[in-house]
Amino acid sequence: MTNSYDALVDLLVHRFDVDPAKITPEATFEDLDIDSLFMVELLLVVQAELGVEIPDEAATPRDTIAKAAELIGAQLAASAS
Amino acid sequence: MTAVAVTGLGLVTAAGIGAQATWAGVCAGRSAARRDPNLAGLAVDFSCTVPGFDPALHVGTRSRLIHDRFVQLALTAAREAVADAGHDPAGWDGARVGVVVGCGLGGVATWERQQRAMTENGPGSVSALLIPMLVPNMVAGNIAIDLKATGPNLVTATACASGATALGIARDLLLADRCDIVLAGGSEAGVSPLIVTGFAQMGALSRRTDDPAAASRPFDAGRDGFVIGEGSAVLVLEREPDARARGAHIRARFAGYGASADAHHLTAPDPQGTGVIKATYDALRDAGLAPEDIDHVNAHGTSTPLNDEIEANALGVLFGAGPAVTSTKGVLGHALGAAGAIEAALSVLTLQQGTVPPTANLEHQDPKIDLDVVAGAPRHGRLKAAVSNSFGFGGQNAVLVFAAA
Repeated sequence: MTNSYDALVDLLVHRFDVDPAKITPEATFEDLDIDSLFMVELLLVVQAELGVEIPDEAATPRDTIAKAAELIGAQLAASAS
Repeated sequence: MTAVAVTGLGLVTAAGIGAQATWAGVCAGRSAARRDPNLAGLAVDFSCTVPGFDPALHVGTRSRLIHDRFVQLALTAAREAVADAGHDPAGWDGARVGVVVGCGLGGVATWERQQRAMTENGPGSVSALLIPMLVPNMVAGNIAIDLKATGPNLVTATACASGATALGIARDLLLADRCDIVLAGGSEAGVSPLIVTGFAQMGALSRRTDDPAAASRPFDAGRDGFVIGEGSAVLVLEREPDARARGAHIRARFAGYGASADAHHLTAPDPQGTGVIKATYDALRDAGLAPEDIDHVNAHGTSTPLNDEIEANALGVLFGAGPAVTSTKGVLGHALGAAGAIEAALSVLTLQQGTVPPTANLEHQDPKIDLDVVAGAPRHGRLKAAVSNSFGFGGQNAVLVFAAA
């Protein structure tokens, strides 16, 4: 969880120019001005950078950062086992 | 006929960011061409790019993620133009504000980057933002989003005449009362390895790789091709009575527009200049002016052997050796689809300041060119009316007439 959260925050800050001060586990992607088009792009970047495939319908801009990090973490664990 | 007024302008060019920097650079008459690290190893390795442009600073934090450079340059020019006109997009009736921008190529750097990603890393690596960054109409769409302009919105593509065509169409929209304000201009950021190679392969570019600053030399006997540039210009246009009613500062009147097609050849201009002459007569008639009323021409003047000679012949037929002619491409290079709008903005400043900028690098005027081309230093004097010419591959011609306010 912690690793995937940090990795997601890193992508948001460095690839999507999100202000790190605005990112909390409870913040939604919408709160960070990540709309549905950016969400698709984010999932593509997650796949390319972290090797984790999240289907478009599994994450929406209304989800929290924590929830998405959890999803990524679960996928990472699944692929590691 | 109701006249159209130019009430604001914004410029981003190889001479600098902003109208003032561009005007100063053009009047100084020194070429902005330099070696371009992005083109290293190519047959033509120099260009006229905008110096020190920072999307985060000049447009906004996330601009690099969603805008190709041709959009970034245009947003910068559009904001400057609107502020210069004294308009506040927070308060205007956006439904009466149109946007017409010329663009010849679109987001070519994005295209090349994403093609490379696909080839090297597969389709999964292609950005979801490829299409909205690539398509040329996005330059007008993004200006609408940025400035809340919800009136007619389009992009014109007539190659190197695109920016001039956009201004002509914008003027028509105002005269047809489809809008009250139009943000009209051009934008291009086509200095990419593929595009430069394409122009080089067709023999259109100067090969003066040992001395880039001397390469763009319109009307000079030693010219050997154009220098590719980039940039954007946006002009704020309004019907003159509206502009006067709100107490706007009118920089110049946009008096006439003419357009034609050569229907002659894919890329070569018609040697008789028939299309150019027709478009110019149409523009003059539109303006209610005679050829002898024109005392300045901002020529297309690309610095290719063919264009400059044929254009000079056409100007000779139209105006004799009367008007003071300049080509600002000597300084700025050829910004393709933006060039017509950049040169329109410079024509407006020329009329306003009573100063004709010199043609850079014009040392020995081609004896076949019988025009009064301004060289060496700016020429000062009262000017009444100016013509700005633009011609595109495909034989598309657009001619604009401006008159002192």
